[in-house]
Amino acid sequence: MAKKPDYYATLGVTRNASQDEIKRAYFEAAQRLHPDKNKAVGETEIFLVVQQAYETLSNPARRKKYDATLPPLERSPLPFKNNIYYSRPNLVRMNEAQMLYVLLEIAPEKNKEEIPAPPLNVSLVLDRSTSMKDEKMDVLKNAAIKVMRNLRPQDIFSVITFSDRSEVLIPASYPHDKRRLESLIQMLHPSGATEIFQGLQAGYNEIQRNASHERIDHIILLTDGHTYGDEQQCISLAEHAATKGIGISAMGIGKEWNDVFLDTLASRTGGSSRYISRTEDIQRFLIEKFETFARTLADNVVLEVKNTPGAEMAYAFRTQPETGPLPIEESIHLGPVLQDFNLNVLFEYLVDPSLTKQDQVTLLRGQLKLSIAGLPTPAQPIAIEFSREVRKEAGGEPPPSIIIQSLGKLTLYRMQEKAHVEVKQGQFELAAQHMKQLATSLLAQGERSLARTALIESENIAKMQSFSEEGSKEIKYGTRALIMPQEKELPV
Amino acid sequence: MILCPNCQYNNLDGTVFCVECGMQLSGLQPIVTQNISADNLPALERRKTATFPKDLDNWASLHLLDSGQILPLGDRTEFTLGRVSEAQPIMPDIDLTPYQAYANGVSRLHAVLKREGKRVFVMDLGSSNGTYLNGKRLTPNVDQTLNHGDMLALGKLKIQILLKNP
Repeated sequence: MAKKPDYYATLGVTRNASQDEIKRAYFEAAQRLHPDKNKAVGETEIFLVVQQAYETLSNPARRKKYDATLPPLERSPLPFKNNIYYSRPNLVRMNEAQMLYVLLEIAPEKNKEEIPAPPLNVSLVLDRSTSMKDEKMDVLKNAAIKVMRNLRPQDIFSVITFSDRSEVLIPASYPHDKRRLESLIQMLHPSGATEIFQGLQAGYNEIQRNASHERIDHIILLTDGHTYGDEQQCISLAEHAATKGIGISAMGIGKEWNDVFLDTLASRTGGSSRYISRTEDIQRFLIEKFETFARTLADNVVLEVKNTPGAEMAYAFRTQPETGPLPIEESIHLGPVLQDFNLNVLFEYLVDPSLTKQDQVTLLRGQLKLSIAGLPTPAQPIAIEFSREVRKEAGGEPPPSIIIQSLGKLTLYRMQEKAHVEVKQGQFELAAQHMKQLATSLLAQGERSLARTALIESENIAKMQSFSEEGSKEIKYGTRALIMPQEKELPV
Repeated sequence: MILCPNCQYNNLDGTVFCVECGMQLSGLQPIVTQNISADNLPALERRKTATFPKDLDNWASLHLLDSGQILPLGDRTEFTLGRVSEAQPIMPDIDLTPYQAYANGVSRLHAVLKREGKRVFVMDLGSSNGTYLNGKRLTPNVDQTLNHGDMLALGKLKIQILLKNP
């Protein structure tokens, strides 16, 4: 049933590629995929397709014949549109700094025929350190087997396990023999310490061999522990992976892992991080992640940012589909646009008074780069501009409700962020007070259990001068989940 | 600068939620008091009488700021305000318990509203936490004139007085 592979996509070249380009792409792929280097069954077949593609495309006559079988190249408009909302209708001419909030919404077109799920190139990087023993390991194995069984023939899948060193359990390959893969996963047994970089590096190697614009290239890291000393290496690797269009998402199991680190890691690539408080949730979260892949419309959505001097982008946060803070950089990886869900990112701008002398202020000139899932070449970049007129008076209109809603919830999340910063700076009294404020606000919104946790943490800070590992994560991911517009029930 | 009414923090202009306490600073719907003359609105009046038979006689309403609810008063000339609790000899005419009276420090018999002709008065009944009119604490057991739109606080429970014929 698998449809004939698109040879252009296989080689990662455009339809009008020259013979030279085709040759280069083939050599490059051959080096990565040559059967001499292979271990897995499915892997050789990836190479065979590449071989076939080259044989067809390198011969002008055969290429012409093949081209005739292809559907005409669609020059259709992009399957989504972008909207920009501002917290105020205009900036105000004044002598002090002012704030402006901008919400960038990328909305998929509705009522289109169903779009097939894009082919995957996913690597599971699993922590098998000693702390994962017993129940956790069993649940993890079952979860991995479950998602593996759901793979389609065109997906490429790999599994890495790591402790203080890494091991390629399943090399990147088509899942032809699922029984065999299953037995491989079953053989996993825990031992050793946690060194995340080892695992990530191996996962990256597996992914990059088959990385293409057409596929969803993604590493999913599951860990339950702190990594020691290799954080910076991991983040550099994530930054590098991001430039290759490879995403990293992280799931932290239990309370003993470094959420700040995993957040940073994932956000560099537009991926997400999640807190799995109960072992039995591993499978659900993993399946959810794969569902997100299947619903992906556009991948590797990157906002290239050029801010006007004086307009400082002070904060960026993805409010949906997967909520999380985004790093402020020249290229911000925004994560995927899903077929049925808007991608929304909220930016906070601090506008210097000197800018308001002009009549019109452009805060950001940038462009949106992305690849449409299932298409071999990246889409044409879209120009994005945040711009506001400057007037003497503030306009009377209230901020659009979409901004009020997301910002209202985001404010709660940022209060706990603030308390964390204060704890780090030794301002314990202030931090405790802010956590109390947060508890009050949470209570006002009917979030009783989260409010209680916030109150307990406030006491923890006052007495022990620090958050508890568990409570801090619960509040962080709990307030983050509130931002998400009522989709799924949260783990409590 | 925008001064947060809740925590007095000075926020930068354009801030939507107070960065200190999270209170919403802009985009709130202002509460507008409107006087509707019933004479010119026969249809509306008919509907109103159907639901509140005594509505025509009420001379004041209490607007509870926290909940946004409006309590129309009946046609008597005197109402005591307070909260009902167990073993209490004298009950208030208006029980504020559903509006967080206890948490806001409302006494069992807190204050009284009176009408004499066209004038309306408030008197504190020696409450524990006091009655405030537009921010000023009232001397207990002394009448004080009320005007349309005045802000009354029983302890911390804020009530706006809406008079029918201001």
